[in-house]
Amino acid sequence: MTQNIIYRNNVKISGNGKQPILFANGFGCDQTMWRSVAKDFEEDYQVILFDYVGSGKSDIQAYDSNRYKDLSGYAQDVIDICEALDLKDVIFVGHSVGSMIGALASIVEPERFERLILVGPSPCYLNDPPNYIGGFTREELLGLIDMMERNYIGWAKFFAPTVMNNSDRPELTEELEESFCSTDPIIARQFALATFFADNRGDLSKVSVPSLILQCSQDVIASYEVGQYVHQQLHNSIFTLMKATGHCPHLSHPDETISHIRQFLNNKTIPTGAD
Amino acid sequence: MDSILNHAPCGFLSVDDEGVILAINQTLLNILGYELKELKGKNINTVLAVPAKAFYQFYFFPLIKLEKKVEEMYLSLLTREGNEIPVLLNATRRENINDCVFIPMYKRNEYEIEILKSKKMAEEALDAKDKANDELRKVLHTLEAKQKELVELNFKNQEYQDRLSKELKLAKNIQEKSLPTPLRNEHINFTSFYKSSTELSGDIYGLYQIDKHRYGVIILDVMGHGISSALVTMSLQSIFQKLISVGVPVDVVMHELDEHLLLLFQNDNLISHYCTVIYMMIDTEKEEIEYINAGHPSAIWLDQEGEMLEFRSTTTPLGLLEGMEFEKHVFSYKKGGRLFLYTDGVTDTVELKVLKEILQESRSKSVEDVRKLIIKALKCEEKHIENIDDQCFILVDIK
Repeated sequence: MTQNIIYRNNVKISGNGKQPILFANGFGCDQTMWRSVAKDFEEDYQVILFDYVGSGKSDIQAYDSNRYKDLSGYAQDVIDICEALDLKDVIFVGHSVGSMIGALASIVEPERFERLILVGPSPCYLNDPPNYIGGFTREELLGLIDMMERNYIGWAKFFAPTVMNNSDRPELTEELEESFCSTDPIIARQFALATFFADNRGDLSKVSVPSLILQCSQDVIASYEVGQYVHQQLHNSIFTLMKATGHCPHLSHPDETISHIRQFLNNKTIPTGAD
Repeated sequence: MDSILNHAPCGFLSVDDEGVILAINQTLLNILGYELKELKGKNINTVLAVPAKAFYQFYFFPLIKLEKKVEEMYLSLLTREGNEIPVLLNATRRENINDCVFIPMYKRNEYEIEILKSKKMAEEALDAKDKANDELRKVLHTLEAKQKELVELNFKNQEYQDRLSKELKLAKNIQEKSLPTPLRNEHINFTSFYKSSTELSGDIYGLYQIDKHRYGVIILDVMGHGISSALVTMSLQSIFQKLISVGVPVDVVMHELDEHLLLLFQNDNLISHYCTVIYMMIDTEKEEIEYINAGHPSAIWLDQEGEMLEFRSTTTPLGLLEGMEFEKHVFSYKKGGRLFLYTDGVTDTVELKVLKEILQESRSKSVEDVRKLIIKALKCEEKHIENIDDQCFILVDIK
């Protein structure tokens, strides 16, 4: 079972420390996104990287369109990995939708997690006027998904004459020769729908594990206001506005990202879920 | 920026990791409808529509940062007027600067949109096909289940049939056991033939020695054949057996049988069974035959000289009318003769005329031999007949 999960989610373990720090990427690419940040924690922690089923170098055969129709299926991936490796006191670091996936996993099994670090979180991308501005209209989100599809056009496999059913698609087992952002177009579309049309605002108050929100400046995907909203809804959370701009501080500003995470981990005054 | 790049037939733009536009060529400025000073130092988000802004963060930035290049990325730029321009983007990275080349792709865009539309239609068609297949599979499943049910039912039915057939054979056995065996003495020589159309017969006959000189001969045909007729037959048999063997007069026997039939189907118009019957009481001392023929085919009498006469029906069949009076007829003979009684199953197969000829021609032969001749004639004719009724005949030599 353990081996299955490690293979299924392309789990990579490194580092000399005992306490596990689990990095979860957001929508679009794979664990490579965390490369430079994760490396910095290898000396003191057990560093764990993985890919969600359906992305990166995960076992695409394990993809089940029913399980992954919403974020709870992805949260189950995180729980499966924690169980398979028998992880305790996990520090979970998630980017973008990865942060919400971790939050959902922590609601299911709060005792496994010591802290959550949420980089650019958003519980709901869709505007819900007048009280909530997620940042996007429905048309804009559909436009984004459309743009994703348009970018798969160059892929030979995009025109594979079958849909939805892995058993009918032996070509899926062939490794996609594209970049680390490549994924199966249909799976990517379902992940996009699960991500961009999710509304987990009601789940935030159920999170009991202490958390750090890392908010980028000028983030067009998760705005300052959305970050503030998350901070208000989460019990026991710290909100940090970064100098970094954009939506990927772990790529654009790894040093700043690392220092904020370290500062949060070294702050022993924060009561942990385990206490 | 050198003049060639500035006016090259493609848009060019340099941007840092923060998204700040460091350089932009005139071609791109023309496409977007901006002046250089309006965009230089501004964030690239200024010229991206909302979906493109997000796409830039999700895909462009990670790719250029980690793989140092982006090839053939589809994006849409936003002009100053607010129009979207579909472009193909190639980018490379030098130190921390990302150089981007944009080619507008209006015509290609139309073409790709068409391709996507076709693809969606194909997918929908495939989806519909899959759904139809699913439905078919379900129907097939149901069909298979029904078939299995049918097979089971058939099996049960077969079991039932087998049991029934066993029961019927047993019943037939019982019926045949109730028939008298051939009798031969100084007064009388009796033989018979009995064959049912199905397992059970609606015909029955009997021969009883009442006392030293008197014999009772009866032949009876209940309407129809099969189980119900056979049951009626057997109930009548149990009655006439008791009555005849103690010498009850001919008319009383008939009356009792009639009463019994009427009683059986009292108040029941749907199922009524009438029957035809001949009962003869032969007194070999008086050389007299008392008889009643209730609707039955004529019995044949053949005397020593070859004279043939018939005992025709003297009254209606039994079980039809209430309050019937039965009157016995008396026939006297000299020097004996031969009696032939039969049911209509026999004359339906072999004509009475032919039977009479056989009787006449084989007058000097024994009853056993005549029996064989008649059976032979029946077998011969049966080949041409589909539905054969119950068959039964009796031959009695009176000395």
